Parts: sequence; C-alpha cells; structure tokens
Amino acid sequence: MDFSKAPNSRKLQLCRTYFYAGFALLPFVWAINVCWCFEEAFRKPPFPEQSQIKRFVIYSAVGTLLWLVAIIAWIITFQTNRTSWGATADYMSFMIPLGSA
Amino acid sequence: MEKRVQAAAIWLLMLLHGAAVAQGERTRDKMYQSIVGAGCFRRLNGTHQTGCSSTHAGSVGVLHLIKVEADLEFLLASPPSPPYAPMIPPHLFTRQNLLRLIEAGPKNISVVLLINKPDSMKQFSHELNCPNQYSSLNNSETCDASNPATSWNPWGTGLLHEDFPFPIYYIADTEEITKLEKCFEKFNNFEYETHALRSLCAVEVKSFMSAAVSSEVCIRRTRFINNLSGSKYCDPLEGRNVYATVYPRNIKTDDSEVNDIITRERFILVSCRLDTASMFDGVGLGAMDSLVGLAILTQVANLLRQLLPPQSSLPDTKRNVLFVTFNGESYDYIGSQRFVYDVERFAFPKASARRAPITFDNIEFMLDIGTLDDIANIKLHALSGTPLAQKLLQQLNSYAQSPRYGFNLNIQSEMSYHIPPTSAQSFLRRDPRFPALILNAKPANKYYHSIYDDVENVAFTYANTSQDFTMLLDVSNTKGFRADSLQMKVRNVSSIVAMALFETLTGKEYTGSKVANPVLSDEFFYCFLLSADCPLFKAASYPGSPKGLPMPPMRYVSVLGGPQESSGWTYRVLGYLLSQQQPKIPKDNCTVLPLHYFAGFNGAGECRLTTQNYSSALSPAFLIDDYDWRSGNYSTWTESTWSLFSARIFLRPSSVHQITTLSVGIVVLILSFCLVYIISSRSEVLFEDLPASNAALPPPTAC
Repeated sequence: MDFSKAPNSRKLQLCRTYFYAGFALLPFVWAINVCWCFEEAFRKPPFPEQSQIKRFVIYSAVGTLLWLVAIIAWIITFQTNRTSWGATADYMSFMIPLGSA
Repeated sequence: MEKRVQAAAIWLLMLLHGAAVAQGERTRDKMYQSIVGAGCFRRLNGTHQTGCSSTHAGSVGVLHLIKVEADLEFLLASPPSPPYAPMIPPHLFTRQNLLRLIEAGPKNISVVLLINKPDSMKQFSHELNCPNQYSSLNNSETCDASNPATSWNPWGTGLLHEDFPFPIYYIADTEEITKLEKCFEKFNNFEYETHALRSLCAVEVKSFMSAAVSSEVCIRRTRFINNLSGSKYCDPLEGRNVYATVYPRNIKTDDSEVNDIITRERFILVSCRLDTASMFDGVGLGAMDSLVGLAILTQVANLLRQLLPPQSSLPDTKRNVLFVTFNGESYDYIGSQRFVYDVERFAFPKASARRAPITFDNIEFMLDIGTLDDIANIKLHALSGTPLAQKLLQQLNSYAQSPRYGFNLNIQSEMSYHIPPTSAQSFLRRDPRFPALILNAKPANKYYHSIYDDVENVAFTYANTSQDFTMLLDVSNTKGFRADSLQMKVRNVSSIVAMALFETLTGKEYTGSKVANPVLSDEFFYCFLLSADCPLFKAASYPGSPKGLPMPPMRYVSVLGGPQESSGWTYRVLGYLLSQQQPKIPKDNCTVLPLHYFAGFNGAGECRLTTQNYSSALSPAFLIDDYDWRSGNYSTWTESTWSLFSARIFLRPSSVHQITTLSVGIVVLILSFCLVYIISSRSEVLFEDLPASNAALPPPTAC
C-alpha cells in the first residue's frame, strides 16, 4: 500500500500497531516503523494525529538503537570469546567454522 | 547404398575425432599442471590436533629446491617473494629443520614438499621415541624418551605428533619430481634478488581439514543437534581385529547365560599387531614394524594346526589356542583396549558369533609377538619372572639352540617394567598380574612407522616358487632360500614359537623334523608388500572371486567405511590356514559358516571347517557416554574429514604484475560506469527518433 495516500487516522493506527508489535522482541519492526513513518512525523505539514505519530516514531527509534547497541555488544563479546567458551559456545551456534577452533 | 556407407564412415570419423579432441578441462584450469602425490592429514586425540591442513582455498608457495641444509637459510632469512614451498629430500626432513620452517610462519613457508630422493637418507622415523607412551604402563622404566638405550624407537623424531601450519605433500614418483625440478630450474633458480619482480613457478596444495582442536571438540560438533549443515568434522579411527582358534569351539545352542560364562575352556592367547602408521595418506607398508610379527603369527598358526593332535587327545581336552591380530594398535592400542573392554563385559566373541564368551579366567597366558627387527636379539619380556615365563623361555631356547634343527638362536629374557609398546600393555594396564609374555627384539628399525618401512627395509626378494606353501617341510629342506633371507628368519622364529607352544599343549617335547615352510613366508610377504593379486590370497578366497588389486593392501587402521583391506585379507588367510578340510562335504552343502569353501592352493576348491571371525576395533572411548577425554584411559584418536587432496604447479605472476592487473580492472570498471552515464544522459542525441521509454506504453483505459 502507499502509506502517504492512507487517511491520517489509518496512519496513526498503523504506526501504533507497529510500535506495540516491536515489544514482541522484534526490533526490526521498530526500525521499519521509523523509516516508514518518518516522513509523516517530521516532514509533512502538521495534522492532528502527527504529534502522536511523532511520539511513536521517536520511541521506536530509541528502541531500535538500544537493540542495536545490545546486539553489537553481544556479537563482539561472543566472537571474541567463542573459542574460550568451548562447548557452551558451540551449543549456542548454528554454523560452526570448519578447520578452526 | 554406397552413399549411405560413405555418410556413415564420415560420421564415425567425426565421432572418433571428436572423442580424441574433446576435453572437459575448464579454461581457467589450463594454466595448471597437476602433481601426483600423497598428503599429510590431520589426526586428533583427546587434547591435541596433529598433522597438517592447507588453507580453505589451497596453500600456494613458490618452489624452492633444498639440496643441502644451507639452502634453507635463503628461505628463513627474509626471502624476496614469500610464501615459499621448499622441496625437501628425506635426509633433510629432520625435526630441527621442520621446527625452523614452522617458526618461519605461514607467511614465509606455506607448503612443504617431501620428494622421494632417499640416496643420502640414514634414518626416517617420525614416531615418538616412546610409541604409545601415554597408554602404556605408567612407569618410568617402561620407556625413557631421553635415553636411547631404553627407548623403543631411538630414531624417532616425534613429527607424527606435531601440528603443522602448512600442508606437507609427499611426491614419490620420479617423473613428478623431475617436473617440479624442471619448473624450478627454468623459472626460479637464478637471480634470486629479482624474484619479487618476475613470474615464479609455484605449487598449490589443497588439503583442507574440517576438524580442529581435539577429538572432544570435533566429535561434539559432529554429534551436535544444531548442526544444520550436517557437516561431519571427524571420524574415530576404527577397524576390525581378526581372531581364530586352532580347534573349533562349540556352537552355543541354548541361551542360558550361566552355562555360557562358566566354560572350562583354557586358551593360550597368541597375538600380534595388524596395522601400521605413517604420515601420508595411503603410503606406508610397515614391513618391519608389524608385518614380520603378523607373518610369524600366520606361520605359527599354520604349524600348530598341522602338528597338533586332535583336541580330544590332548592331556587337557579343554585347551585351545586363540590367535588374535589387533588393529589400530599404532594409535594407543585401539584393538587390544577394545578386546580387554569386551572380555571384561563378557562381550567377546560378539553374540552373533554364537560361541560362549571368553573371560580372563579362560586365558591361560598371552604370548604377544612384538616387533622383531633383529632375530638374533630376541628377548622374552614379562613384568616378573614367574615360573610360567621361566618355563616358556626354557622351552623356546631348547628348540632355538637344538642342534637337531640348527636354528642357532638364543632368546634372552628381561623380567622388568621395561616392556615394549605392544598389545600386552593394554592387558597389563588392567591387571599387572596378567600372565603376558612378549617376544620382542632390540629396536633396530630406523624407519619405524614411516613410508620407507618397505620391501627394501626388510630386504625381501620374491622367489616366486609356485610351490605348495601350506605343507610343512623337513628342516633340511630350505627350498633354496639363503639362511639370512627374510623367509628363513621368519621360518626359524615361527618354528621355535610353534614347537614351544606344542610342548606346552601336549606336555611332550616336539621331536618331529617338520618345520615351517619358507615358501609360505615368501608368498605372505609378496601379498602384503608387493601385490594383493597373489597366490596366497587367491587360495584363501572363494574360487573365482575377484582378484586382489595389483598393489599391496593398505594397513593403516583408517575409519568406518575405510578400505579395511588388511583385516579382510588377514581374515581369509587365517581362516584358510586354521581350518580343517572336510573332503566329504560337497560344495553345495558348504555354504553356512563355520563351513566355508576356499579355492585352495591349486584352485580346485575345498570345503573347510573354519574358526576365524572379526571383532570390533573401535576405542571404548567412543562407546562410553560422557567419557572424560582427558582421562587417558582409552585411545581417543580421530581422523579429520577432508574433501580433496590435490597439488598442481603453475606460474605465479609477480606481485607487481598482480597489482597492475587489478588496477587496470578497477580503472576499466570506473570508465565503463562513466561511459554508460554519458551515453544514457545523451540518449536523445543517439536515439533521436525513438520516443522516451516511459512513453512507449499507452496509459490504461478507464473501464
């Protein structure tokens, strides 16, 4: 669907749904929400639902950022410690490299 | 009609021509020339990885021939165009040199080629000074690696147990070596300073190994439930022990276990090692290190089968001789550890053999045939000087020194913890009081566990007598073999052992003149050292069954699904020699074991009552749940999986050349983008008459 053509109430409803859906450990939904509603929240001329959309977009952006930081921290920790964790790290992995520790 | 024939002829010609010319080779592979050889691969134990692996894409190095030790200095002191691939002859393939190459790092040394030029070679053994040290008796007296006088392999370098950061490739064929040397001379062997500026002859070796770290890690990863790709990282070393008895055992009829275990059978266990080891895949015959022992065991089996009276006329009618050849002994006694493990659990023989289990109480004593490098220096080893050991020693010597037979050997004894690395160690580790006696000679094999422990190392020449090898001969009949020939040495030792066992079993001195047949040794060594397409293997097979390959059977223990050639042939040979002919049973009724139909010496076919069977040689470490891999109780050796072994040479362009090619490519790419942009922005000029692309479609009509 073309988001910009939807009525404003529909935009708000979608933005809200995406924001709440993100709580189901789905940071990508928040990221999509930010990209999708950014135009409506900050670039479009003011309309009644805009302030609420703006709020959801900002919250989604913060959530995405937190997730990003957490995931990067985990990846760095895991990749640097994988070999020393031994069996535990293997059980966490789906793909294990061939020919190295 | 004539036209048709002509057309057919032309078609045929084209087809033939096409078949001759057509090549499936890819253009990008045409710059390479392949090199035939054998690769070193990765083996792992409970704590370490050993052996070699290439990088995933294949390791590439510039060829450099090492003729003298000083040539190595060029490679080790900041060479001009690294990485290099030294071609090393065996006499320079020493521990010291290899460790220096490892130290130089994979940036300088990426491949090592071992070339088969053994002219200056004096020794070549890469086994440890104390083979199987950590699965032997835990006693400082058993083997001291630092003292050549008491170590069991004084020439060993231990390289077999090192982990190399580069692949090692062995090139046996002289033509292939010439190919490499020519390429080196033509492109590399001049003006070393300009190496970085010109194309050099390089070798690419692919031998990437999947497993890493240790058996614990690779087995865990292989068994791993999340292993989505289904990759197998390593396989346990696994083979089959072969055993047979002199007298057939009763087939179990009822299933009552109590009766099974308490049999009053008494066995003399005669054993030896079946396998050997080397650094390179598929090469290594183990002629002196274990084949001589196997030959003696085979001869003893044949002699006893023919000399002994029926079991019912022995003084003790429950006595029998159990011959076992243990597999995987080179890797921490896999076969014998499993045998001990099975016997303890009443699981030997396995249930499908339908024979009563054998327990340690049933084993009267064990006579283990170790390595017999020099038959003039054989010793009988035991932990302590028991009356049993003294008696057997006295019996052995009475035949060895008897003027009647003229063997002129003197078997010494050593009753101490200085026990050779043979299968008996597994039994003694379980119980030091186990009556194990070991025949072993002073170590004299400078090629122990190596690719050079071959026909020449045992000085074997095939006499090809085409005579009946199953018959026993009179002691004076040497069939023309020289007294110092391998065949006669084996004949003498095996006759002595068989006579001593004969005396033990019958309680009477052996007074006959019949001894082992050197022709059997001749045929045996021919089969195992030169060609499996041989009279002995043919006689021991079913008539008309496929011939053996015209090459010696592989004697490395290998993994499940491996060739298992050596145990297969040993099974047949022991089966044939230890069976009793049943002339009354016709071929059609001779189908169900223990009856088996053999081709026999003359190929006519004969039905025989056999006793041979297999038992598993897989280390108990892989059977026990949650086995502690670091405990050292059982062998933990595994072999990494790999997808291919290959080596090929090509002209590697200089780095300047490579950088130029890459830069030109990038420039062309950028230019092409610019060009496309210019053309596209000026498309109206070029394609004046055409309407714009988005105007080509008419707008949809409203309904």
